[in-house]
Parts: sequence; structure tokens; C-alpha cells
Amino acid sequence: MSDLHVLMLSWEFPPRVIGGLAAHVYDLSRALVRRGLSVDVVTCDFPGALKYEEIEGVHVYRTDAYTVPSPDFASWALLMNLSLQKQAIETMKKEENEVDLIHAHDWLSAPAGIAIKHITRKPLVATIHSTESGRRNGLHNDYQRMIHEIEWWLTFEAWRIICCSYFMRNQVHNLFGTPVGKIDVIPNGVDGQKLALSFNREEIRSRFAAPWEKIVLFVGRLVPEKGVNILVGAVPKVLKAYPNVKFVIVGDGYMRKALMDDAHMLGVYHKIYFTGFLDDQLLRMLYRSADLGVFPSLYEPFGIVALEAMAAGLPVIVSDTGGFSEIVDHDVNGIKVPPNNSDALAWWIIRVLSDPSYSDWLRHNALKKISEVYDWDEIARKTRLVYERVLREYEASTWKGFKSI
Amino acid sequence: MRAIVLTWEYPPRIIGEMANRVKTLADALVKRNVEVHVVTFDDWRVGLEVDNNVIIHRISNPVRTHTSILTWALTLNIEMERVVADIYYNAHGKVDIVHAHDWLCVPAAVGLKHALQIPFVLTIHSTEDYRSHGSTTPFNLAIKSIEWNGLYEATKVIVHSQEMMMEVLMGYRVPESKIAVVPITAPLWIDKILDIYSSARGGKNE
Repeated sequence: MSDLHVLMLSWEFPPRVIGGLAAHVYDLSRALVRRGLSVDVVTCDFPGALKYEEIEGVHVYRTDAYTVPSPDFASWALLMNLSLQKQAIETMKKEENEVDLIHAHDWLSAPAGIAIKHITRKPLVATIHSTESGRRNGLHNDYQRMIHEIEWWLTFEAWRIICCSYFMRNQVHNLFGTPVGKIDVIPNGVDGQKLALSFNREEIRSRFAAPWEKIVLFVGRLVPEKGVNILVGAVPKVLKAYPNVKFVIVGDGYMRKALMDDAHMLGVYHKIYFTGFLDDQLLRMLYRSADLGVFPSLYEPFGIVALEAMAAGLPVIVSDTGGFSEIVDHDVNGIKVPPNNSDALAWWIIRVLSDPSYSDWLRHNALKKISEVYDWDEIARKTRLVYERVLREYEASTWKGFKSI
Repeated sequence: MRAIVLTWEYPPRIIGEMANRVKTLADALVKRNVEVHVVTFDDWRVGLEVDNNVIIHRISNPVRTHTSILTWALTLNIEMERVVADIYYNAHGKVDIVHAHDWLCVPAAVGLKHALQIPFVLTIHSTEDYRSHGSTTPFNLAIKSIEWNGLYEATKVIVHSQEMMMEVLMGYRVPESKIAVVPITAPLWIDKILDIYSSARGGKNE
């Protein structure tokens, strides 16, 4: 199957970036093209973006994102899927080489994916990046239950499901009753190229800390599930043993004021720098300049932040939860601490900061794992294996269309 | 001729007037040797039934919880497309016409038209402008946009009265020549429907 042709459905694709999905589909589709596949991406339009363009071999079709007013986000999403479906069908008709399978990402492109599957009788593969129940910490109203059921529908209709971690696989299994054997786990990737910047490290460090201070970096939304308060709680304990350190907290959220008050109360406000949002470029330079990354999340479906830090050559301390547990091997390529425990966190921060050769060992092993597991070419290889398996099963089945649309 | 009728209500599930009108249509078509497949929602009687030679496919909505009839209809239409696609492939692609009734079946009809080149005609029993006194909220506007899309994509629009024709004409800017007024009480009404079907198929008769 050298001319394998996949059509991807995603509600976001650069320059339309809303969450992490846009970057995922962007990186995955380009990596698949590098592996010799033909890839069409059908997505929503964006002001200034072209209706059609080719990006590193990926054919990107942007369609009207249904601009008629709609009562809520879910209704809009369902209406937008009518546009996605129409564009996908148009694309599939036009192409000289037949589309072999459809790949939908999350519930936001589920209706279009399911309809196209049946109308064209092509197999559907779906990636579940996160679940409504996970995002909302349970299902609390009919709106959330409806989205939850659309997610179930997608897992039911898909030939195979891809999840980015075993944590997510188990969640999908528990929430939707999907057999574990129907789910393939392919981790998310990180694009190391973007981190390969040339810049003045001392200059960047000087913007955030004094020359004699080590930089401990946190990146994330300032919301309870990210556990920033645990980091703030650990700061005085660290300073007692290791005073020359600055804690840089990047990101924003509704807990910011409360965290600042905590820092004041603990008498360490001068040692914590709340930067707010930073632009991507500066953040990458900061990753490359800091001494330690600390991510004490309480809930983490995948944990791309740890990957980015590791790929930048930053030793990391993460909490032993969700996707983090799978990314980091404790005491080998990073540190795992029990969630919600600032004492343990402080102990390990001191340990890593005070032993540069240990820190180097973690850093070195992390980079090795990144290049072996979280590399987009490796992810594309695994994804292709899923496609090939689906197509083998499809070829052997009696469920087929009879004309090439 | 093989026709697929899409309706959200069909006896014994009767919500309004539409159910019995559609049944009258299906029964009359069968008498004129049309193979009629009715695809309809009926949560309590899901499955296949042949009633007086009308083949009735009763389906449910895979998504059980909804916040409005809009989300309900949009997900149901995907399931309708699945069932019609199955009819289509079982019939080796020989489906001549889709006849949709009201906005509740428009997305499926439009999707099938584009993908499988099955022409469709749309009967408008009532309009959102009328039901909601002018479609002012986002909810009503979204429904109206679906109606408008159906009126735009359909090959022919069928209404039951002059009054309804004026509503469609004025509220949705549909050219008069695209609308046929065919009350099911009129003499020879089924001949008119069959004429509309065959012209929608490009004048092919069987």
C-alpha cells in the first residue's frame, strides 16, 4: 500500500488555532506525507487563510465554518459539520486517487466523519484527544451529557480508535465501554526543530532572574488542576536549603491573584515571577535557558508541556498522574513526585538543583526518549500501521461501496 | 422507480399533520408501482416493517440526550444518511429520488444529493418564520438557515397551499417557478407528484 490516501477532519488547523488539536493535526499530517502517504485535511476557514493550499505536501481545504447564528457551541459544531461533510465529499470526488480512509479528530468532527463513512463506505479512524467527562471533571448537565454521547457515537462508529496515552485509553474504555483491543495508543509528539533556536541565553535569563539565581520554570494555566499552589507551597522549603533560585510561573488563569496572595503570606513573593502569557518564541527560549521544569498537575490527560520541556533539554519534575506517569521514568529521565505533596516536591527540587551531574543525566536520558518515542516520524510510522491494519480488515470484509467517491 | 421518503413522523407515531400526509403519499406511490422506502424516527418501533408494500425503516437517534430539537435533528440526520446509504448500496445504487419533508430531514437530503447524486424534492409543511413569528433568535435563525439550504438545494419544492407558497416565496426568496402547489386532496395529485419526480430526475420515466 504505497499510495495510501487519508482524509483528515479537524475543526482547527493553523492558522486557526484554538487548542492543541491544530498543532497535532498539522504535525501529524506533514509527518504522514513524509512517510509517503497522501493526506487531505478538511477544516474550518479562518480570516486571511486560503480556501485551498498545499503545505509540505498536505492538501488543506478550508470551508465555511457556518456563520449563521446558533444558540450554543454544540449546535454550531453540528451545523459546522454539515460544511465539513460537503467539502470532504467534494474533495473525495475530485481527487484522482481514491481516498482510502477517513480520520476524524475528537467529537467536533464526529458527525461529518460518521456520515462520510456510511455514504462512501470507507473506514473511519478516530483519535480521541480528550473527553467531555475529563474536561469537565464529570458530566453535570444535559449539554455535557450530549457531547459525551456524541463522543461515544464516534468510538462506536470508528473502525479503530487512537489515544495519546494509556491513561486516555483507559478513560475511553471506562466511559464508553470501548473494548481495549479496539484502541491503539500512539503518544503525542514534539517538534524539536522549533526549539532549535540561536539566541543569547544570558540575556534571556537576565530578564527573569538575577545572574546568581537558578531558574525553576512552571508553564500552564493557573487553574486548580495544574497544581501551581503546590509549587508555591514548596518555595519556602526550597529556599531554606537552596536560597539562590527564582521561580518563574508562566501562564494565566483565575487563580493568579490567590497564588500571589499565597506567595506574600509565605514571604516568598520576591522569589516568584508571575509572567502571565508569553509568546511562543520567548517561551521556547525560556525552556532552553531555565535550570529545572516543575509541573505538579493533579489532572493531566497527556502532558505535552513535559515533552516540550524535555525536548528543550530541561530536567523535569512532574506529578505522578495521568499522561505524566507514562512520559517520565522516575529517576531516569525525570522525577515523579506524588501529586499534591509540596514536601516531596521541595525535596526533589533541592536534589536536582544541588547536583548538576544528576541534572545532566536526567536531561540526557530525556532527550534520548524524546527522539525515540515522541518523534513525529515515529508517530507517523505507528499511525500508518493502524491505517494498514484497518484497510486489511476492510478489504477482507463485505462492507464496501462500489464506486470511487 | 425507487423513492426514499424522509420524514420525522410517520404513523403510528403522529406528532402533527405531517405523519398522515406522508402516509397518504407513500400509499399512493406504491399503488403507482413505485418502490417506496420511508425512513423515519420511531424510538419504540426501531426496525424494518413492510406495510401495504411500503418499506418502513424506523430508526432511533444514537445520541440520546439533547439540549434542543436542533441538536436532536442534526444528529438524527446523520443516522438517516447511514440508513439511506445502506438502502442505496443494497439497491446497487439505483435510487431515483429522495423526497424530504420539512427542515428536520434537510441535512440528510442535501448530504445524499452531493455524495450520491440522488436528486431530492422538498415538501414544506410549515416554515420556521411562521412557527417562531419571524425567526429572531439564534435558535430560530439556525433552523431557518437549514430550511433555506434545503429550498436552495432541492430540485423542486412542493407545498400544499397557495398560502404556503407565498410564505416560501416571500420569506425565503425562492423563485415561483421552483415551487409546485400540490394539495393531496386535488384530483390527479399523485400524477403531479410523479411528474415532479421524473422531471427532478431529468425527465427519465420508468
